[in-house]
Amino acid sequence: MALYHNAPMAHSQEPTAAPIEHRFNPYSDNGGSILAISGKDFSVIAGDTRQSEGYNIQTRYARKVWQLTDKAVLATNGFAADGNNFVKRVKQRLEWYEHAHHKPMGLKSIARMIQTMLYGKRFFPYYVYNILGGIEEDGSGAVYSFDPVGSYEREACRAAGAAQSLIQPFLDNQIYFKNQQPEPGSQPFIPGNLPLATVLSLVVDSFTSATERHIEVGDGMEIYIVMNKGRTTDDLLGEGKLQKGMQIEELGALGEGSGERTFLVRQALKRD
Amino acid sequence: MNSVLSQLQPAAPHQSRLEEDDEFERTDAASWGSMAGFGNLSRTGGVQGMSVPRVSDPTSFLDMHTDNMSSNPEAKIKIAHGTTTLAFKFQGGVIVAVDSRATAGSYVASGTVKKVIEINKFLLGTMAGGAADCQYWETYLGMQCRLYELRNKERISVAAASKILSNIVYQYKGMGLSMGTMVCGWDKTGPCIFYVDDDGQRLKGDLFSVGSGSTFAYGVLDQGYRWDLTDEEAQELGRRSIIAAGHRDAYSGNTCNLYHVKQDGWDFIGNYDVNELWYEYEGKKKAERESQTAAAAAATSPMAVEP
Amino acid sequence: MFLTRSEYDRGVNTFSPEGRLFQVEYAMEAIKLGSTTVGITTPEGVILAVEKRVPSPLLESSSIEKIMEIDSHIGTAMSGLTADARTMVEHARVTSQMHNFTYDEKIGVESCTQAVCDLALRFGESVEDDDALMSRPFGVALLIAGIDEKGPQLYHTDPSGTFVRYDAKAIGSGSDAAQQSLQDAFHKQMTLMEAHSLALKVLKQVMEEKLDENNVQLAQVTKSKGFEILGENELKAVIETLAA
Repeated sequence: MALYHNAPMAHSQEPTAAPIEHRFNPYSDNGGSILAISGKDFSVIAGDTRQSEGYNIQTRYARKVWQLTDKAVLATNGFAADGNNFVKRVKQRLEWYEHAHHKPMGLKSIARMIQTMLYGKRFFPYYVYNILGGIEEDGSGAVYSFDPVGSYEREACRAAGAAQSLIQPFLDNQIYFKNQQPEPGSQPFIPGNLPLATVLSLVVDSFTSATERHIEVGDGMEIYIVMNKGRTTDDLLGEGKLQKGMQIEELGALGEGSGERTFLVRQALKRD
Repeated sequence: MNSVLSQLQPAAPHQSRLEEDDEFERTDAASWGSMAGFGNLSRTGGVQGMSVPRVSDPTSFLDMHTDNMSSNPEAKIKIAHGTTTLAFKFQGGVIVAVDSRATAGSYVASGTVKKVIEINKFLLGTMAGGAADCQYWETYLGMQCRLYELRNKERISVAAASKILSNIVYQYKGMGLSMGTMVCGWDKTGPCIFYVDDDGQRLKGDLFSVGSGSTFAYGVLDQGYRWDLTDEEAQELGRRSIIAAGHRDAYSGNTCNLYHVKQDGWDFIGNYDVNELWYEYEGKKKAERESQTAAAAAATSPMAVEP
Repeated sequence: MFLTRSEYDRGVNTFSPEGRLFQVEYAMEAIKLGSTTVGITTPEGVILAVEKRVPSPLLESSSIEKIMEIDSHIGTAMSGLTADARTMVEHARVTSQMHNFTYDEKIGVESCTQAVCDLALRFGESVEDDDALMSRPFGVALLIAGIDEKGPQLYHTDPSGTFVRYDAKAIGSGSDAAQQSLQDAFHKQMTLMEAHSLALKVLKQVMEEKLDENNVQLAQVTKSKGFEILGENELKAVIETLAA
């Protein structure tokens, strides 16, 4: 461990050939990208599954997106060890909360709690970019994005990670309709109202494109879809609704279940 | 409060690794029971044990790995930065105007940042510097202000509120916090602005602008500022200053958020697209020029026929 | 009996052979000396009423504070050693605010009550960390009234750190008679106004002095307006309905 400025057992006075740098560097960048988009009554949270260090692919399946509750999914990106540990602690806090307050934590509460947890390590940050997606108390789809030390904001969509700068401009254009003009005489654009099918294909296109142009993105992707209670699933489970090669499974309710449904869609990405 | 700093001191290097201050180590019954843990807040509501790396110089550790204070733009951990903010007092209260761009290096991390933090119905804080530092501590300040209100059955003054904030950041002086904020509000003394920053500076004043675009904002602001501005004139001055800064400073832009603090609390006036407004102003200027030339031509032409 | 007591009633952390903590039981006795306090739950909200003992005409009755705000949606009324209650109310306020800070939501009434009760048990010679440590049990009982997503709620806490939820509860010196009257008159569909006059009617029965706007205090927690202590005029209006 490079915790000590000077080696604790430095008895010998012999001069060393070259200065040895004892710098505490606990961080690494494991690449990959994550993204989340909210709809009127659903939220989509996705990430690729490649984990790399430098040019080296460590694994083709490492999880970056995590189901927290029936209505919340968290995506982490940056240093995988910090990310995994952070998710573990968030889950622990969710459990404590449920024991103490006899209810699952709501989405905006999770968002605020994540801020306080990240900020608690302001001077020794988690090298993690978090995106939280899910269903708000009022039934609307929501996305919260965080910086590593806890500043956060609710948004309609957000991409983070290695391919952030590739994906976010695409999302700005397609989700926020930035630099688009409505056809003369047609309705003005209203962001945050896209149908699920459109959002899903935007997510897939984001990742396939990022895979083409970024070496740290690829292998596979996991897309979590959280739906408000009572919402139809026809646009997801219906015949021919999914693209070729997509596998879908429904994740059962975690606790008592309050009616929200979470689906996990897997799709292969190029592995080169 | 002194204990905060002592808890932040790094442990002696010889100390056993087992004693590492870990979230779990600090865990006791109260933090997972009914209170279910309040992160780094102590039972009394103070701030306690922020996690610090066990190295001899935690500040340079932080400097090395984060792009804090923009001193190390190559660092891995990019902390979102805020940029042009202004606030001024005038006869009708306080105008607070900010831009909404956050940059990480040269990347626009967000164009929709809320740089005005609504501490409570009567207090606003602005965000420049580290977004998390401002957001976290100003929310924390909101909690302290509410407790003050419960204990004293009276609203806190802007002076007292800003002092709570400056006392907090002073505790962390030199450790790498980054914030330049204006605490704005209306109390018994009337409209009030305090500037508070990360080295503990706390200044009372009529007019401030903070951030990389502040010089541009000051240019417009100083030129148009008077105490007896009407509400509309004052709001327009705040808006115009942010637009100017957003236009000339690459680190500022996207949109302008405008607030007006009055005796009965603050009002959110609106959100304006910097780019659109700039061209609107340009258009108006052009139209004015043309009408002036036309008027001048009309005025001078009869002269021209004079022999 | 007396002997057993005298041996085991000094240490706050020593059980008697019968399994009793006498100091805690004595603390509960202290509450029975306190002024009568009443709380009533209705579908519209919860009300709290206290008797203020004004032993001298020279005493400024408005300086007696027996109902306090914990947060905008929770209030509390006390009986017993009211000075002890300040510590508990401070703890409840800080806990509520910290909950709000950490989770961006109002604390639940039960969670807040639980936090107060956690504190009630933090007495004794030493505990590993030493903040807000009492050498003896608190000599005060609280009625905690509030509204959250589960609706209007009323809790009673005592020095043993136990808390129980009630529809209507009376504590303090006149609590036996008052509780009986509450039991006779309470019904689930009570309006807020009915609860106000019932609370005062109950206090009137057990108070030695004639009830007026100076020797009682009335507060309510409603969905729309949260916690509020009734002003002199509102209080007078309720008192008038009693006479009629």
